[in-house]
Amino acid sequence: MSQYASLLIALPLFSAFFIPILKRVSKRAIMPFLVVVTLVQTGIAAWIFNQVYTTGKPIIVMAGGFKPPVGINLYMGYFAALFILVIALASFLMAAFSMRAVNVEPKDKYAMLFLLLMLGATGMIATGDIFNLFVFMEITAISAYALTAYNKTGESSEAALKYVVLGGIGSSFFLVGIALIYGSLGTLNMAHIGQLASMINPTAAKIGLALLIFGLAVEAEQFPLNAWAPDAYQEAPHPVTAMFSAFVVKASLYAIGRIIYILSAAEGWSSVLRLLIVLGTLTVVIGEMSALRQSNVKRMFAYSSIAQVGLVAVGLALGTVNGVSASVFHMFNHAIVKALMFLAVGYVAIELGGVEMSKFEGLGKRMPITAFAITVGAISIIGIPLFNVFWSKIQLILAALNAEYTWVVALILGASLIEATYYIRLIHTMWFKGEGEKVKENSVLALIMLLLVAFIIVIGIYPEPFWNVMQKAGSDIFDVAQYIKNVPLMGVSP
Amino acid sequence: MNPYYFASIALILIGLYAILVKRNVLKMLVGLSIMETGVNLLLISVGYVSGKSAPILSEGITPDKAVDPIPQALVLTAIVIGVATTAMALSVVINLYEKYKTLNVEEIRRLRG
Repeated sequence: MSQYASLLIALPLFSAFFIPILKRVSKRAIMPFLVVVTLVQTGIAAWIFNQVYTTGKPIIVMAGGFKPPVGINLYMGYFAALFILVIALASFLMAAFSMRAVNVEPKDKYAMLFLLLMLGATGMIATGDIFNLFVFMEITAISAYALTAYNKTGESSEAALKYVVLGGIGSSFFLVGIALIYGSLGTLNMAHIGQLASMINPTAAKIGLALLIFGLAVEAEQFPLNAWAPDAYQEAPHPVTAMFSAFVVKASLYAIGRIIYILSAAEGWSSVLRLLIVLGTLTVVIGEMSALRQSNVKRMFAYSSIAQVGLVAVGLALGTVNGVSASVFHMFNHAIVKALMFLAVGYVAIELGGVEMSKFEGLGKRMPITAFAITVGAISIIGIPLFNVFWSKIQLILAALNAEYTWVVALILGASLIEATYYIRLIHTMWFKGEGEKVKENSVLALIMLLLVAFIIVIGIYPEPFWNVMQKAGSDIFDVAQYIKNVPLMGVSP
Repeated sequence: MNPYYFASIALILIGLYAILVKRNVLKMLVGLSIMETGVNLLLISVGYVSGKSAPILSEGITPDKAVDPIPQALVLTAIVIGVATTAMALSVVINLYEKYKTLNVEEIRRLRG
């Protein structure tokens, strides 16, 4: 049965390369085809989620039937099962949004790249091999470069160029990191690396981990390498922006967490955690400060998104199981909220022709459902009780206190304060300024937005079951001994 | 210490220098390619064992007489990915030149803030 899980990779891949054939038959069928494929993907992901959480055992797919570390394996434990579902669901909603939002030809290329982006992120989360992770990261990155440049304006090409150059540097760093770890341990399988981690040369482990973190930091939007992110978020097609924020960055953050923790037995490992916590803190501070002075709302949300992933990185770097679980919870909440907010902003841009702050005046009267969705998202991100992000911020604060990082508490509260400043300014502009005639809102998009709003409020009121899931997912990353035990390594001993 | 390591790290640094210092977009992309070449050379030299032959199954070549094949497989993949990245970047640059009429990165600055 478990071999069916490989459909998660196979389905988007085959569908993506089926699109040129479909284009010959009917051009109009491409976008509905995209929606159907993402829906089927969501179904498979939901089946895997159900399977993993009811049996409590991870699903392991071995390519060609070779046991790891000889063969490459996919590992779908608690974390991967959860986030593959998030990816598939977000892709499905954004595919539905794309039918309305994407009017630039060639749409067949858009649909192909869309599916490859989803495939890459799914693969990054599911894979159990460090070089396979690199390949999936590059699939994600190259489709993301192309999607950023998709509108073919000068600005979108400029954003894509920045992204390509930084991404290229990042992937070279990542490969050097792989070379160091492979040179020291002679294996690429993550579980095998975890098993041998205590034998690794401490210098190779430290430099290798630092290089791997820097390589992934491009996609994970951590501070020195995130200059591409606001530009790409601003210029990419609206559904793609939502996908970047909802899961591309999450996949890279997961990869950072996984790679760090499998090497936790290495000597001098805690200095790498300190590196990550510094990067995360700088990301939060610079992201929030930059968001404060934006007049372009999409760009403001982009900076806010960067600041939130900085908080996730800080949580991953706390080095406790609660910190990792809180990070996972924050990733999950942030994925929902930012999918909602970028969808709403993109819809405003389509209807009113721009995302400048002035376009949002009187939005409460012109597009009430969209304005309501943005308001709920903004309130939630600030961390007001009864909305979902409140609970993940609380868990992050508790984890930081337990790990004796008191200043992280100040960081989270300060970030929330700055978020409140710029989001309340936006809410005020939407509801209390300007007039305008009512625009008829698209019922499908209104339904998607209300669905996501309902989800935010449900998690806000009943966080317990979700927190239980997140704790399992967090311990899946943190508990390396269990991870090694789950992967059937072929007759190797350290 | 293996001299190949020094050569590959020198290549990586030359590439990084070109990306950071050069103002012409095409020269930056050349720098990126040089950096990728350096990384590939580093990966190959990690698996190199002095005096052994290529890991191709043929007469007289037993596993103990060949170098480590895994880095070579990795490099093949990395080369393909590097080609795709370069092609992608060049197509972006073509569009950029049509819109901005320049390749100087200091003049390609409409997005800021």
